[in-house]
Amino acid sequence: MNKVNAVLLLVFALVIITIAELIGIQSITIGSITISLLPLVFAIIITMVLGMKVLRAGPLKRIYSKQNVDFSSKYLIFIMLPLMARYGADVAPQMGEILQVGWVFIFQELGNLGTVLIGLPIALLIGLRREAIGATLGIGREGELAYISEKYTLESDEGRGVLSLYIIGTIFGALFFSIIAPVLLDLGFRPEALAMASGVGSSSMMTGASSTLVARLPEMESTITSYAAASQLLTSFLGTFTMIFLAAPLQQFMYKFLVRSDRT
Amino acid sequence: MKAGLNQYVKYALVLLLSIALILFTQEIKLVKNPESTPVTWLTIAGLFSLYLFSMMGIGISQMMKKIDISFLRNFPILGWVSITSLVMCLIFDFFVTAIQAVDFLSITTPILTFAGISVVDRLADLRKSSWKIGLVAVFVFIGTYVVSALIAQFGLTLAG
Repeated sequence: MNKVNAVLLLVFALVIITIAELIGIQSITIGSITISLLPLVFAIIITMVLGMKVLRAGPLKRIYSKQNVDFSSKYLIFIMLPLMARYGADVAPQMGEILQVGWVFIFQELGNLGTVLIGLPIALLIGLRREAIGATLGIGREGELAYISEKYTLESDEGRGVLSLYIIGTIFGALFFSIIAPVLLDLGFRPEALAMASGVGSSSMMTGASSTLVARLPEMESTITSYAAASQLLTSFLGTFTMIFLAAPLQQFMYKFLVRSDRT
Repeated sequence: MKAGLNQYVKYALVLLLSIALILFTQEIKLVKNPESTPVTWLTIAGLFSLYLFSMMGIGISQMMKKIDISFLRNFPILGWVSITSLVMCLIFDFFVTAIQAVDFLSITTPILTFAGISVVDRLADLRKSSWKIGLVAVFVFIGTYVVSALIAQFGLTLAG
């Protein structure tokens, strides 16, 4: 690894963190809905904008060197590990309370079918066909990617659907969830329910959703992070089974039904 | 064997970078808002606990790779770290106290900084997918979140 570039990357990260933290939490209120933008949102927006190919000149070219970008994507998961450890510590003191409503946690896992129930009709309506299978099976993370590539290969229409969703989710997932979670809060959902729902199966999306809820309701921090983390952990246990035994058959059924009725 | 050891040194260094960035972020947060979570010796102990559990989780995940049960083999490393930390925190209360001295939002900013850097080369791939998939993505994400939230809301109301 080029040492100068690596040092530049580190300095750059410190600068971005400083800028993002000094901007702090900004709230935008539209009617009765408040959107909170956290430092993490500024951090990802600034790093993405500065990384656009047209801007990559001088020091930015060295910061966004292939090695540095590869390092970030290869080790991102390891940079995230302390956060995962933190979630464990959040769940521990709330364990009794969580087990008490354990059945709610298990039932809300069925919410993962929402990708098919809501996503598939919309996809077919705007004219997608086989791509829709890949794009709506789940939130397009590693699990869906593996399933679709095994069943249809990634070069198929289904494969292109899931790959596109994977890319969109990687780039905008955390951002999207950090905006949508407080909107639902303003629409009257209970914070506990939204925290539970945050465990969608992607750690960055879960973090986006739960962090903005924490920022809005700091006094409920321990409940929010523990519910989100417990549900996320449950999704990583049950997610594959939900996908294979429920989402995939449901999707096949709905697809045949909707595409047929479309022709008549 | 040597390559394996080198890999662990790399993981250890990346984790060290990660907790150092968390500490840095928490300090900056204090500059911006002196009311936020203070940095104390407990915070340092908390950061080292996070470091320790992360390393333990990596170790467990590597061990599981050798077991012939695909469910355990494919279980994500992130999950192992959470479980390790959960078990340790259930046994020793001290870990909970120490880790909660680390500001939660300070953990997230450095991660998203690197997440942003890691995706820049994929921004070009976005142009290859049509706007239709983008629209579908919005409904897919809202779909899973809202349906889960509705079920959870209903269940919690029943549970009282």
